[in-house]
This record gives sequence, structure tokens and C-alpha cells, in this order.
Amino acid sequence: MEQHHELWITSVFNTYLAGVGNGILGLFGQHAHDPAKPWANFMTMQILTALLVIVIFALLRGRLSMDKPGKMQHIFETFYTFLHDQAEEAAGHGGTKYLAFFGTLFFFILFCNLIGIIPGLESPTMFPAVTLGCAIAAFLYYNIVGVQAVGLGHYLKHFVGPMPMLAPLMIPIEIVSHFARPLSLTIRLYANMLAGEKVTLVFLGLTYFVAPAVFMGLHVFVAFLQAYVFTVLTMMYVGGATAHEH
Amino acid sequence: MKGKLFLLLLAMMVIASPAFAQEAVAGPRPAINITSGLAMAIASGLCALAQGKAVASSAEAIARNPGAGGAIRGALLLGLVLIESLALYTLVIIFAGV
Repeated sequence: MEQHHELWITSVFNTYLAGVGNGILGLFGQHAHDPAKPWANFMTMQILTALLVIVIFALLRGRLSMDKPGKMQHIFETFYTFLHDQAEEAAGHGGTKYLAFFGTLFFFILFCNLIGIIPGLESPTMFPAVTLGCAIAAFLYYNIVGVQAVGLGHYLKHFVGPMPMLAPLMIPIEIVSHFARPLSLTIRLYANMLAGEKVTLVFLGLTYFVAPAVFMGLHVFVAFLQAYVFTVLTMMYVGGATAHEH
Repeated sequence: MKGKLFLLLLAMMVIASPAFAQEAVAGPRPAINITSGLAMAIASGLCALAQGKAVASSAEAIARNPGAGGAIRGALLLGLVLIESLALYTLVIIFAGV
């Protein structure tokens, strides 16, 4: 993969916080390729996105009002009702208990995808490491929540399948399909974001200004769609994991 | 029709077999370049067929039952994205430098 040039934010991080970066990498037993520049673009972009999400929601919290809802409240109420309805439909009966995680996942991935459109910043979700992190978070979440909801023994019975006689066939199939879930989540999000940027770059080289703008518009639509699909799939996995068989 | 498609795929795999004879070589790798292009073209073509089928049947379903439009649109969007991701897996393999 080609080397991405360093963004301004990343160079600021590398100038002032290189020691912190190397320290954090050292905690996990890793070493940076270039000890003078431990911070990668996607790390600083993720931190920026997380701060942005926190700031926006802190501002929203201050402006909530029952009598005179403002514009921001309307916008986020639309998002909330949308996510709430999707959770009820996709995650089954008790799905809305987990809405906090789904909402966080949705807004984080959405902001990560969209931040790449701003010149001078780039989407952290263009890198497979970032999307793998989100997918592993979703994977661990639905397994842990499934075990919490129905108990470990009953949860493991999902892997056995409908009849105990089929168990030797079903267990490997179920294990493979369970591990295929975070893999497909990772690659889907990463490939969509990467393809969006590459297509824009190719058309920037071919024709100036008009065609790249059209593809950037498509990229915005794809950013929303991919954040939605990641969240809905996580909801479906949680729904499948917490299904009570009556 | 299915027999012809299978023969075509088989022929392409035979053409691609010289690629297996190479170790990791830097520099011009014409066999890999050709098969990458062909692989992406096949993946995109099949993905387009599948998405066309999905859109066609959901448009017909909405026409028959306009009240269920919201649910059908949701199912359509989810289906389209999942089919799209299959073509993108091929793109990722191409960039992973196989």
C-alpha cells in the first residue's frame, strides 16, 4: 500500500506528542516504523472524530428542551427515532436495551466516514485497522450481551443447531460463520471508503472539477449507507444472540 | 447457457494458471495484471446482475403494495449493500497484491 502523506494534524501530534505515542505503542509491545513519527494519520483522525462526537453531543445535551425544541434537537430526534425503530425491528424483542451501543457505533462510523470529505482531513475508516477495531468491538459486544441475556449454556446451544445429531456438522459451520461476521463487516466498510476515495482521485486525474464532485456526492451517500448497514447488521447479530426461544 | 458459462470460466482459469508459477516478483507481472482486471470485471458484472434482480423485484412489490413501501425499501437497501460488498471483496484482493 502506498504511503499516505502526513496530514497537518498528524505532524502536530508527531512534533509534540511523539513520546506519548511511542509510550502507548510500547505498552502493547509494538514499535513504530519510524520512532520520530509514531502517530499515524488514522490514529489522529480517530481521536479528532471521537472528540468531535463528544463535543457535538455535549452541546446537544445543553440545548435539549421540552417546550421549545431547537433545530439541533429536531435533527437528532430524527436520528434517534430512526435508530430506535431499526433496533426494535432488527434486534428483536429487547433490542432497544442496547440502543446506546448501536447509536455510538452509528455516529462514530458516520463521522469517521464523512470527515474524509473535508480537504486536509481523511477518513480513518479507509484503513482496515480501524474498521477491524469497530468490527471486533461489535463482535465482542454481541457475544457478551448474548451470554448475559440467555446464559452461557443456552448461548452455546445456538451453535449446536436444531438437532443434537447434526452437532458435528453444525458446530464447525456455525463457528466459521460467526468469525466471518466481523471479517465481512471490516472489509465491507474499508473497501467502500477506499473505493470512494480512489475513484475520486482517478477522476481528478482524468477530468477536472465536475466528475470528481459527482463521485464525492456518491461518496457522501455511501458513507451514510455504510454506517447504517454496519449498525443494522450489528443489531441483527445482537438480536440473533439474545433470542429467547419460548 | 449454464454450460457455456462454466466452460468460459474454466478457460479463464486455464489462462490464469501461469500466474501460479511465479513467486513474489517485483516489476512487470502481466499475467497478474490481466487476471486482476478480468476478476474485477466478472465480479462487477455478476454483482450488477444480482442487484438488477433485487431492484426489479422490489419495484414490482412496491407497485403491487404501495403501503408496504417503507419495509420493502429497507429490505432493498440492505440487500443491495450486501451484494455490493461481494464485488468489493474482489477489489480488496486486487489491492492486497495477489
